[in-house]
Amino acid sequence: MSRPQTSEGQIGSLAVSALMVLAGVVTLWDTQGYADRDSQVFPQTVAILLIITALGSLVWRLLHPSDNGGFGAGIWWRRLLLVAALFACALTMPSIGFLASGAIAFAGGLIAAMHDRWDARTALIFGLSGAVVMGAFYALFKFVLMVPLP
Amino acid sequence: MEFGHFLSALTPLNLALALFGVVAGTVVGSIPGLTATMALAVLVPITFSMEPASALILLGAIYTGAIYGGAYAAILLNTPGTPSAIATTFDGYPMAKRGDGDLAVALACFASVVGGLVGALALLFLAPPLSKVALAFGPIEYFWLSIFGLSLIASLSTGNLMKGLAGGAFGMLLSCVGVAEISADIRLTFGSQMLIGGFGVVSALIGLYCIPVLIDLVAVPDRHLKVEDDVRSVRIGEAFRLAMRSKVNLIRSSVIGTLVGILPGAGGSVAGLVAYSEAKRTAKPHQKFGEGEPDGIMAVESANNATVGGGFIPTLVLGIPGTPPDAIVLGALLVQGVRTGPTMFQQSGSIVFTFIYGLLIATVLMLPAGLLIGRYAYKSIVTIPKAVLVPSVAFMTIIGTFAIRNSVSDVLIMLGLGVFGWIIGRFGFAASPIVLGLILGPIAEQGFVQGWTIGAATGNLTGMFFGRPISQAILAFTLVTLILPPLMARRRARKEERHT
Amino acid sequence: MLRRSILKLGAALAVTAGLSGAASAEINGPVNYIIPFGPGGESDISARFQQPYFKDKFGEDLVISYQPGGGGAVGWASLNGLTGDGQTIMGVNLPHIIIKPAQKDVGFTTEDLNLAYMFHFTPDAIVVRADSPYQTLQDLIDDAKANPAQVTMSGSGKASANHLAQIKFDKMAGIQTTYVPFKGTGAAVTALLGNQVKAEWGYTTVGAKQGDQVRLLAVAMDERHPLFPDVPTFKELGFDMVGGAYRGIALPNTASEETTKLWSDMIADINADPAFRQQMLDGGFAMLDVGVAEMDDFMKARAEEYLKDAREAGLIK
Repeated sequence: MSRPQTSEGQIGSLAVSALMVLAGVVTLWDTQGYADRDSQVFPQTVAILLIITALGSLVWRLLHPSDNGGFGAGIWWRRLLLVAALFACALTMPSIGFLASGAIAFAGGLIAAMHDRWDARTALIFGLSGAVVMGAFYALFKFVLMVPLP
Repeated sequence: MEFGHFLSALTPLNLALALFGVVAGTVVGSIPGLTATMALAVLVPITFSMEPASALILLGAIYTGAIYGGAYAAILLNTPGTPSAIATTFDGYPMAKRGDGDLAVALACFASVVGGLVGALALLFLAPPLSKVALAFGPIEYFWLSIFGLSLIASLSTGNLMKGLAGGAFGMLLSCVGVAEISADIRLTFGSQMLIGGFGVVSALIGLYCIPVLIDLVAVPDRHLKVEDDVRSVRIGEAFRLAMRSKVNLIRSSVIGTLVGILPGAGGSVAGLVAYSEAKRTAKPHQKFGEGEPDGIMAVESANNATVGGGFIPTLVLGIPGTPPDAIVLGALLVQGVRTGPTMFQQSGSIVFTFIYGLLIATVLMLPAGLLIGRYAYKSIVTIPKAVLVPSVAFMTIIGTFAIRNSVSDVLIMLGLGVFGWIIGRFGFAASPIVLGLILGPIAEQGFVQGWTIGAATGNLTGMFFGRPISQAILAFTLVTLILPPLMARRRARKEERHT
Repeated sequence: MLRRSILKLGAALAVTAGLSGAASAEINGPVNYIIPFGPGGESDISARFQQPYFKDKFGEDLVISYQPGGGGAVGWASLNGLTGDGQTIMGVNLPHIIIKPAQKDVGFTTEDLNLAYMFHFTPDAIVVRADSPYQTLQDLIDDAKANPAQVTMSGSGKASANHLAQIKFDKMAGIQTTYVPFKGTGAAVTALLGNQVKAEWGYTTVGAKQGDQVRLLAVAMDERHPLFPDVPTFKELGFDMVGGAYRGIALPNTASEETTKLWSDMIADINADPAFRQQMLDGGFAMLDVGVAEMDDFMKARAEEYLKDAREAGLIK
């Protein structure tokens, strides 16, 4: 790491604190449109509290720069693949049905989490166990708990 | 007479139902997104064709099993299987990470059985007088109770107080999103249809706790949990000795759980948080809460299972359900033609007492069943290769979130919140304060608005907020919890200085 | 025992009814009955009461699930996206489905909903504790006149049936009371029993559920409720108030007319069952029979009334 002032942890912490302050300000703005006083009191109080505490942590961090925090070591494409697969699953669910979209999530997660070497045998075993897990859950939810899965 | 009810609870059919209920409930509870409410709602029609008491035993056993099962996911995956197990993650996951997951699961089982027994015994012997607790709690008491719960944020975020408080405030803002519960506005949706239903607690829990764990798991090749080379059987003996040493903690937490369970506006998650807070406040110097302290798990798990018996007290005595599962049981009772209310213990005494004994028996059966399932759950989580574990859990989060209210929007909200939670978690904003804010926010808001309305109408706002004895007691506890630990720490530090 | 034999009788009757019933549309397999609220409320309880009768009469399971959120809005906004084959139905409540879309865009409009049947209503009622000094409605009015705004009354939510009733009654009686909103009737009743408020704007069902812990001062019905023969109606006391919260079912708007008609007939069949009627009356409900044919007129009248009240109360523009 270079100097703490420009480290990932420092910048990121400042950014998140600033984001929280922004959330507070946006809330205050939104509450202006409420018709009922009862629905304003609480969000306004909490938003002010959020702005104060988030500003506090922002200022404190500015005065005491450090490189605490940060995304740490790890492989980015794996993280992104997992998240992308999950979102893809949720977005495609209404159109292609639950099992097919679930398979996307499972496959994405499987590839993202697989750090050992692939060979035909593991691929087959993992694929099969995936099918079993998904089938079991699908059956449990759809037929035992009667959840109307798409 | 009482003994006769005990015997009628002991019929082979009732025993089988209790055992089946506990096992099914444990499995249901251990899956994040699957709640006791859902399992009960599906099973109610089956109970129409049963004797009312047997039906109740089945429903009660599922409920109590589910509350215990919530601990598995909390300990092994850092994801509360039910909201009641939120505080179980605080010490459970650290324990599992350092290789004590088996011990943690066994501890949770012992604690759950103790808590379940205390709650059920309170229901058996003290239900009518204790039901008054539910009525003594007015809006202001709920308000202060939520503030007490929120004060836990301060002790959870040592060294990061400002961020902890900001996280709590952020969580409370999240709880405002959507159609307001008791006023007539739609808040913070910015015109989006997706947000009208707000952030559901269960889907937020899955997102904030589980998704970050998954994202971290895939990024590095290490094993998920540390495992000792010799995989021992679940460390039952060790867990039992630890539990025996923490008798005071177990009993105190169970009593807290019973009392909080009686409050219709609180529930298992609040009970767990309050018990955890108290266990932490009275901790011995060597205990490190939040880093895998067995007493933390025991406090939460005994408290949340005690809410089962506690919650049935207002349900049966006053006809006011304490929790959503209680509400379903109440509905089932009404359809069976059983009238709840003050006269129920006389008029339908045999049903009620058989049910309570059944609940006690189910709680006892949870000991062997829970230890056995716990052992299996632990073994499978540590032995499944990570490449299968991650996608399986990921699939579970999606199907579980969807099932809460059959909504794809909830899945998207859960994922979005999860990614957001992971990012801000990396910069010191932990998930727990946000979750505390999300759960306690509505209680605080409703209590405040109602208390203010009543206080302003009667022209006595100060008396309303500060003049009522229960409020004063909760307020005093809050102050002690907030002020005492830093004072003690300073005194200890000074003492150590003198020694060196 | 008695209950069992009544059920058996019902099953026998259902066979004959089933033969003459369904013409072109029919249901196959379990029906998903979505309640857009959490469990324990009046909507849930009535669905639970319907459940066994449905099974007996039509041979299929009625599977109840809960889809709470947004005071029902989440469920109703999703209804038309579900399949309209008659295997999915959803509970609907008045005034919710009228007031909510009128306030803001909540993802559905009243006209979008394909209502099949309105089966009962819970009449508004003023509820006090059994030990309350208010023996009659006049006692409450006198107190409110002497101490404006000091009479606190709990109720379920804002812009709800309870809230509208409070505003309407205050105006009629020329008094000023303070409305304290709670999350659901259960919480409002708890506050009443716990002496946190002086009275509650509730329903007749509260009186049925809480028994002799509470006393009803007046009910908003045309005639007295059979369960409370001693409780006067508002009309008798000179206040023209009849109404409450109405409940029924709706289908996705993709459902064919035959399917909607089938559901209307099936619910009518359950509603006509004497044992069912007795159960509902014992629960404090007031029966209602509005099928598809009469639905438009019924909804028009209700919408007019609710919107007028809400506008006068300043709840909508």
